[in-house]
Amino acid sequence: MIRFEQVAKRYPNGHVGLHELSFRVRRGEFLFVTGHSGAGKSTLLRLLLAMERPTSGKLLLAGQDLGQISNAQIPFLRRQIGVVFQNHQLLFDRTVFNNVALPLQILGLSKAEVAKRVDSALERVALSDKAELFPGDLSTGQQQRVGIARAIVHRPALLLADEPTGNLDPRLAAEIMGVFEDINRLGTSVLIASHDLALIARMRHRMLTLQRGRLIGDGEAGQ
Amino acid sequence: MSATRSPKVSERVAPKAADPQSEKSKRGGHDDDGPDFRTLLHAWLESHRSSLLDSLRRLGKQPIGSFFTCLVMAVALSLPMGLSLLLSNVERLGGSWQRAAQISLYLKLDANSRDGEALREQIKGLPGVAEAEYVSREKALEEFQQQSGLGDALRELPENPLPGVVVVTPAEVDKPALEALRQRLSELPKVDVAQLDLVWVERLAAILKLGDRFVFGLTVLLVSALLLVIGNTIRLHIENRRTEIEVIKLVGGTDSYVRRPFLYMGALYGLGAGFLAWGVLAFGLDWLNDAVIGLSGLYGSDFALAGVPAADGLSLLLGAVLLGYIGAWIAVARHLSELAPR
Repeated sequence: MIRFEQVAKRYPNGHVGLHELSFRVRRGEFLFVTGHSGAGKSTLLRLLLAMERPTSGKLLLAGQDLGQISNAQIPFLRRQIGVVFQNHQLLFDRTVFNNVALPLQILGLSKAEVAKRVDSALERVALSDKAELFPGDLSTGQQQRVGIARAIVHRPALLLADEPTGNLDPRLAAEIMGVFEDINRLGTSVLIASHDLALIARMRHRMLTLQRGRLIGDGEAGQ
Repeated sequence: MSATRSPKVSERVAPKAADPQSEKSKRGGHDDDGPDFRTLLHAWLESHRSSLLDSLRRLGKQPIGSFFTCLVMAVALSLPMGLSLLLSNVERLGGSWQRAAQISLYLKLDANSRDGEALREQIKGLPGVAEAEYVSREKALEEFQQQSGLGDALRELPENPLPGVVVVTPAEVDKPALEALRQRLSELPKVDVAQLDLVWVERLAAILKLGDRFVFGLTVLLVSALLLVIGNTIRLHIENRRTEIEVIKLVGGTDSYVRRPFLYMGALYGLGAGFLAWGVLAFGLDWLNDAVIGLSGLYGSDFALAGVPAADGLSLLLGAVLLGYIGAWIAVARHLSELAPR
């Protein structure tokens, strides 16, 4: 699903985000990427979302070389990915339903199909009864679940999450992680960037550890 | 791990997750085959419909602001268009005067009525001549007596001092052609003097030419201003929707998808401005017309301003929509690269 081959990212100001990083992620795998602030977790996610391009090396996502992908192809690449942000990135002037429907509207699906899929996604994150509310009416945990519903509603092959439990209390964080596991069981590859080691350790999935842009660990969490 | 999960969520998710195969087969079914043409067309139309409705809704949410933006654009549109319409009216007036541009052939005093009629027939057949009319010496004197108010004094004259005249109306008002025609007519027998006065026609033409250039310059200037107005307005809309645009791009929205509602917004501003400008011009010309009719009446003319012709009004609407669209396009093109997700 994902292949990093000696991928490096250097910024014009001289800062090195990633040093020759190499690893693979299988289809349907659940993976944590951890490390302190500035370790390179966000850079890695930005590369996968084609928000930035690698300076050197080869980065393949579902067979596509993200170093060579044209700007016109990027939106179509992103349609295969679901993204969950720490700050949710919800649109507060739209209802929960319309926030979740956004990726489907971009795909141009019929209203009936959109309604069906949004209902299903909201049901999956236990927010069916909140569809007509606005994000501002919801708690932080509920907002995060809306973000997850939006990320999975178009049935992406890969789900990326950047510190998805960063603002949540431990109970809510565990709840959100449970939702990610359920989504993973449906066949979606899940890659979560997080520095919540305690939470990661409880989940016993593969964990990559980054430090100053270098990969210093690759193994099962909790071991 | 899952043991720490809230039962509420996991219970609701579990039934779905229990059958991953069915979900995977669903994903691998219709979606992986790629959408057919009908689906793509429907998606495209649906996207346009929702962009248009969204733009209308956003404009409707700020009726005062939207109205004033349209009004500023309408003023910018109606100034050059109004001047252009006024010039058209002056050209129409000038055109009727030009048709009155005539060459007067004063005949020799020994030319009698038969000579005059024969000359008129001869001149009528010449190329470049639209009309020729003979005024006999007697008729010329009679008209002069009536118009000058010197009837009694003229009756005291021993003989009629006025010559017969053939008044020639040229087919077209073109200075070199008219001069050539005058020269040719002056060489005809029995013609004493051939007189052509074109100074006033030339002056009017020069004024109209100056007016045309002024309108053109003003149009360029105001169209630029209009593009700036619409560009700035759209830029503000873009700024207000920055988060939304970033999210749209992150979930797979193309540049054209992002651009579309702003283009509709620009076109809608243009449409509103076009209608307003049309209304302002129609009202303005109608308001001026009373004064113009009064003035032209004093000169014995029935001249009146023509309103805004339907074709011109429709061109104004189309032009305004196009300008709104182009202004929005420029604004979005300029700012789209800055809207990369952060």
